[in-house]
Amino acid sequence: MIAASRSNAPSSFEEEALPHLDAVYRFALRLSGTPDQAEDLVQDTFLRAYRSWAQYTPGTRAKSWLFTICRNVFLRQRERGRRHDEIVQRHTAMGGGVVDAVNPLWRSLDGVDPEGAFFRSILDDEVLRAIDRLPEDYRTAVVLSDVEGLTYMEIAEMTGVPVGTVKSRLFRGRRQLQRVLYDYAVEAGVLPGGFGTRDEEDHVAP
Amino acid sequence: MSLLERLKRLLGRARRGGGSEMISCEQALSAVYEYLDGELEAGPREQVEAHFDVCARCYPHLRLEESFRIALRGASGSVQSPPGLRERVMDLIARSEEG
Ligand SMILES: [Zn+2]
Repeated sequence: MIAASRSNAPSSFEEEALPHLDAVYRFALRLSGTPDQAEDLVQDTFLRAYRSWAQYTPGTRAKSWLFTICRNVFLRQRERGRRHDEIVQRHTAMGGGVVDAVNPLWRSLDGVDPEGAFFRSILDDEVLRAIDRLPEDYRTAVVLSDVEGLTYMEIAEMTGVPVGTVKSRLFRGRRQLQRVLYDYAVEAGVLPGGFGTRDEEDHVAP
Repeated sequence: MSLLERLKRLLGRARRGGGSEMISCEQALSAVYEYLDGELEAGPREQVEAHFDVCARCYPHLRLEESFRIALRGASGSVQSPPGLRERVMDLIARSEEG
């Protein structure tokens, strides 16, 4: 009913944008790390989206458009105060430039849980905590792709990097996250202890 | 994917003449994310799929990545926006219209 009053808005803001409120909130929460900040971020995002609704091209994905605004707002805000520590450093994922096609985790799981069923037994909160510890670029790519189902192209446009960079961020982010979850599962006793598996990440398979 | 679905796909492919040459394990594994992310064109997608269908070594890899994704999606999908947020957003917009 609000958007209907705007003559320059051919499709309704309420119908196209508001249904993505939960998705934007999820994304905002992963970006900012706290519910309060996420809520502010969502409000700011939708207000800005509403003001620029005339620039939204109908037929394009409203969700990815809203995510773009949300991320921009977040990045601007963050310049005023940096967010909680990014504990996992981006250099731990791969040592050299050579990419190992065989997931190193698979070697640790071979004969124990080769299909990674343990992932699904980890509590939601632990999974979210692990996501939040990823470096921001990786976290953004992983959340947008794995959780929200955006395409590589959409993520590339949103984050202003080439598609190849999106792929490599996804690759590294996913492997880091898997390693963190694996370690957690071992600690929690869900999986038997791994031995000497961590170093394998830095080596290429023979 | 269920066992039945896999079988159906295998049968379908066998009927079509088995498809083209098999890609290597290395190639299939390198494409696992693009495959799962739906980023492959029909041709390469079928090749990757065909490899995972018949390779006992690679298939668990695919399952592992699927389990991982299900866990991520489930965890984040369980998050809902707090009650009243939608109303607060609507309010904010309405007020911005007045101002
Ligand atoms: Zn194989």
